[in-house]
Amino acid sequence: MTVTRPMGDRDIAPNEPMFDPRADIAPNDTRRALSLHRELDRTWRDEPGWRGFFTSVNHGTIGLRFMVTSFVFFAIGGVLAMMIRAQLATRQGAFLDVDLYNQIFTMHGSIMMFLFAIPMLEGLALWLLPKILGARDMAFPRLSALGYWCYLFGGTVIVGSLLFGLAPDDGWFMYTPLSDRTHSPGVNADVWLLGVTFVEISAMAAAVEITVTILRCRAAHMPLTRMPLMGWYLLGTAVMMLVGFPPLILGSILLEVQRAFDWPFFDVARGGDPLLWQHLFWLFGHPEVYIIFLPAAGALSTIIPIMARTTILGYGAIVAAIAGLVFLSFGLWVHHMFTVGIPHMALAFFSAASALVAVPTAVQVFAWIGTMWDGKVSFRLPMLYVMGFFITFVMGGLTGVMLAMVPFNWQAHDTAFVTAHLHYVLVGGFVFPMLAAVSYWMPLICGRWRVRGLGESAFWLILIGFHGTFFLMHLTGLLGMPRRIAVYPNNPEWEWLNLISSIFGMIMSAGFALFAFDVIMQWMFGRRSRRNPWRAPTLDWAMPLPAPSYNFASLPGPRQADASALLPLARGEGLLPGAPRGFRETLVVEAGTGRPDHVAVLATSTWLPLLTSAAIGSFFAAMLVGLYWLAPLGMVLTLIAAWKWGAIMGTDRDHAPAAVAPGLTLPLHWQTRNTLARTGAIALLLADGTLYAALLFGVGFLSVVAPAWPAPPSTLVSLPVIAAAALALAAMALGLLASHRAEAQRSHASGAAWAGLGLAAALVALVALAVVGLGLDDPRRHARDALRGAILGFAVFHGVIAAMLALRSLRDAQTGRLSEVRRGAAPIWQMFQAFWLTTTAVSVALIAAQEVL
Amino acid sequence: MGWLWRALAGPILWAAMFSLVYALHGAGCNLGWQGRPVLGTDWHHMAMWLAWGAGLAAHGLILWLLPQGTGRPRQLIVLGAWIGLVSTLVTLFPVIATSTCL
Amino acid sequence: MLWWAMLIGSGLITALVLGLLTAAVRNNGARRSERGWIWGWGLGFTGAVLVVLLGFSLWIGERMLARGDDALRVGAHAAQWEWRFTQPGPDGLPVQTVDTLYIPAGESFDVEITAQDVIHSFWVPQLGGKMDAIPGHQNLHRLRADTPGIYEGLCAEFCGIGHSFMRFTVVAYDPTGPIPDMSADLIPETRP
Repeated sequence: MTVTRPMGDRDIAPNEPMFDPRADIAPNDTRRALSLHRELDRTWRDEPGWRGFFTSVNHGTIGLRFMVTSFVFFAIGGVLAMMIRAQLATRQGAFLDVDLYNQIFTMHGSIMMFLFAIPMLEGLALWLLPKILGARDMAFPRLSALGYWCYLFGGTVIVGSLLFGLAPDDGWFMYTPLSDRTHSPGVNADVWLLGVTFVEISAMAAAVEITVTILRCRAAHMPLTRMPLMGWYLLGTAVMMLVGFPPLILGSILLEVQRAFDWPFFDVARGGDPLLWQHLFWLFGHPEVYIIFLPAAGALSTIIPIMARTTILGYGAIVAAIAGLVFLSFGLWVHHMFTVGIPHMALAFFSAASALVAVPTAVQVFAWIGTMWDGKVSFRLPMLYVMGFFITFVMGGLTGVMLAMVPFNWQAHDTAFVTAHLHYVLVGGFVFPMLAAVSYWMPLICGRWRVRGLGESAFWLILIGFHGTFFLMHLTGLLGMPRRIAVYPNNPEWEWLNLISSIFGMIMSAGFALFAFDVIMQWMFGRRSRRNPWRAPTLDWAMPLPAPSYNFASLPGPRQADASALLPLARGEGLLPGAPRGFRETLVVEAGTGRPDHVAVLATSTWLPLLTSAAIGSFFAAMLVGLYWLAPLGMVLTLIAAWKWGAIMGTDRDHAPAAVAPGLTLPLHWQTRNTLARTGAIALLLADGTLYAALLFGVGFLSVVAPAWPAPPSTLVSLPVIAAAALALAAMALGLLASHRAEAQRSHASGAAWAGLGLAAALVALVALAVVGLGLDDPRRHARDALRGAILGFAVFHGVIAAMLALRSLRDAQTGRLSEVRRGAAPIWQMFQAFWLTTTAVSVALIAAQEVL
Repeated sequence: MGWLWRALAGPILWAAMFSLVYALHGAGCNLGWQGRPVLGTDWHHMAMWLAWGAGLAAHGLILWLLPQGTGRPRQLIVLGAWIGLVSTLVTLFPVIATSTCL
Repeated sequence: MLWWAMLIGSGLITALVLGLLTAAVRNNGARRSERGWIWGWGLGFTGAVLVVLLGFSLWIGERMLARGDDALRVGAHAAQWEWRFTQPGPDGLPVQTVDTLYIPAGESFDVEITAQDVIHSFWVPQLGGKMDAIPGHQNLHRLRADTPGIYEGLCAEFCGIGHSFMRFTVVAYDPTGPIPDMSADLIPETRP
């Protein structure tokens, strides 16, 4: 049924070009492809040997590394799943003791979510995005590497804890009070909270980077409205990560602070509430499902039209559906909490939203079916996995709608029915599309064509194994089997169902093993693939195989609008050919229209990401082993490392503009204001603002819902505290003024003075905040006081950032990095200073309101 | 980029309305608003109905102000406006359909 | 009834989508009809099904709520890892039992669910839905056993090492007959 030859039948005639049809940029002169390749590869390739392994920042290397590492964790999570199935195969399972079983199912869920699914999609995005959008690298290459090291270190600690029997054992959603110090006294829960938060640094890094890359690093004159759908899907994913992860990060920080320092955010006796954890967790947890689904759907929207030799049906409707999903998926989280005793009307809001979210999903499913209807489907291996997706995901979606119905949810919640549903959704909606994506892009990854037959066998084993395992689990759940039990001695009626699930689980595992074997065989022994084997129009195939370190010898533009421009691009006819200055350069465009704006000079290989993640890791390690007095040292190390990032940015002379194409010269990024860093800071502040909003939600929620309120009388209001708060706000406002004046006066000596004043103001504000801190009531007394401590900590944290940026601006002025056209760090400093001032002012107003009311 | 914000106006309004009505509901149940009668109903219902009605009116305004012409940006603006309206209509209709604090 | 409607509906929709998929794979014509696929199937069909389903389920959910009428109240207090129940004893006064709840069959009763230490969940699969037991909160859950008998219950929310064994029994007795002997399950110090 399947064919292993490359595609050869017919070209896809794009009925809608990816570029603005009115734009034109003259081609550069043709050069020899080989000399261009040498020039670029010298600049872009990783350093040789082990050094290269530790210092690489190239998106191709880092993206692949993310994907390979996530598959290793997937295999570990899969082995744990098989241990669960072995334990449940009989009702008196004696394979594991209960403690170990609890660790194993907790780790299975945690690994698959945080160490497989999220990093896998990050890796795919990092690796693919510059290629499919026509750029040479991601916007912030060092950030890619930093994210990878945080992921690797954090993931290793989490998995390593299993070897010592110290793995988290409270279930992957870590409900308090079970996960608090009283009921989980060991280090197990700390491993989860600190390890996952450490790993989430990589998610936030990737989210910022993906957002900025899609908005600013597209090919010249590729408007947002015409970019490949993968761009829209990943933009939606990244924005959701920016907004979705902060609640989890906040929740983890609060719970860890409660465990370490006894601040009672979730302790119901002292004004906390365990439901706050559930809200924060699911406020992340449900969007998470769509964060995982969207990139997979992006892969489907990319692969299906090519396999069907046509273009996607309903581009505009799909973009609207993505926007609908991005928003609606934040209105579903309470459907994980239907049984906690929330009134029926609130449940009805979330039930209706949960049902409504099926509509944009259905729009996409029918658009894909319609696309296949239009075209002529050829059953290559990726298409088999796409079929696996349809069969599995449609059923998962329908059981999802069932679970969205409140009365049914009351019955099925926390049973094997939910386990079955979530595996149908996640394996159907993520794993099958990812397997399709891997088999589709493997030729671009390794330059080779696959070995006949293995892939199909793996597909059938996985498909049959999966449905054999999980289909009957719906019934098991309806017969009353709850999640997370280790034995069921009194329920013989569940036994045959579980036994069948276990047997098919082993078949599925064999399928995944065969898939991995197939990929390795292809990588090592496949025969060379010809260029653009699928004859796809997208730009990811407009390059030699395997993809070179720099992606494009010259960048695509309106005259090199699809993969057929492979040779002209390699010969330097596109934009910005070669690396004439010895810099890693890529084009930056205006976000909406894609009009060329400037040329960004990207970072080269460096140890800094590795060292920075080690510094951050030392902080987490000190927290984990309980050496709290040592943790500040980790913070200082992190600050030193962060300072170094700025130290190797900037330049002390004005550079000549870059010749991009005949008649088009653009400045290098040092000499512009609207840089990638500025867009990145906006994205980061969106996430930061969400974190703050989640903290405010915590204050509001506990004040209204938690039982032990009103709090005991506070002694906060006193003259010194009021004066210190007013002084802090005034100093922050002065700092904001100084940051603007420092930029305006950058080419004069007074610029440095303004930067120095801003630094002094930030330090004064920090001291004033410390005085406020001395006046706080004991945070261990009541959740209100603990929350005030957290709010103050938020302000101090941002004060340190603002002070660092002020210091950076001062050093910029002193070391001659500023000129009429070079602005240094001041524009970024302004944004963080404004954010610090605004959030602190809101916090002061909030606490004042608490005191007055 | 202006068109993108315009296209997102409807969904953003939905997000605001959804948060607002959910907050009103939670606050009302915990502060006992359902026990305070006003105009044949109670403050709790009244607050949520007013918020919902105002939100729908604002959605109607967004639809009223849709731009003329063709092209994909306009298509996305129109779709965004409808997504917002339908979302607010469907997800918040329980304020007129179910019991409040049981 | 909701369940059967959803099961049959889901089966039909799965068959429909897979049928369309098969037809789409077989069809080689190039007939672009965005209107039909996206507006007809994606929006129209899906939307109609969901609106009907949602209305139906809210109506059912509304009827299952515990209301402030004079239904029998019993207490269920969860702790790691046992259930303590409060219910009317043989002489009509409340008595406390461990891991067995006695209720009259054929009439609705409300369970006041509370927790001692961590989150648990009260669930008797044959009687209806579950409700969590959360420290600091009291949840009310309406159930009804139509016929006398013994119903198995369990803790549905993961609550630590003893989670698998946190079972209980609900004994529904004939309200017209004598109240069964609870002495084996009584907590001694609370005996009236």
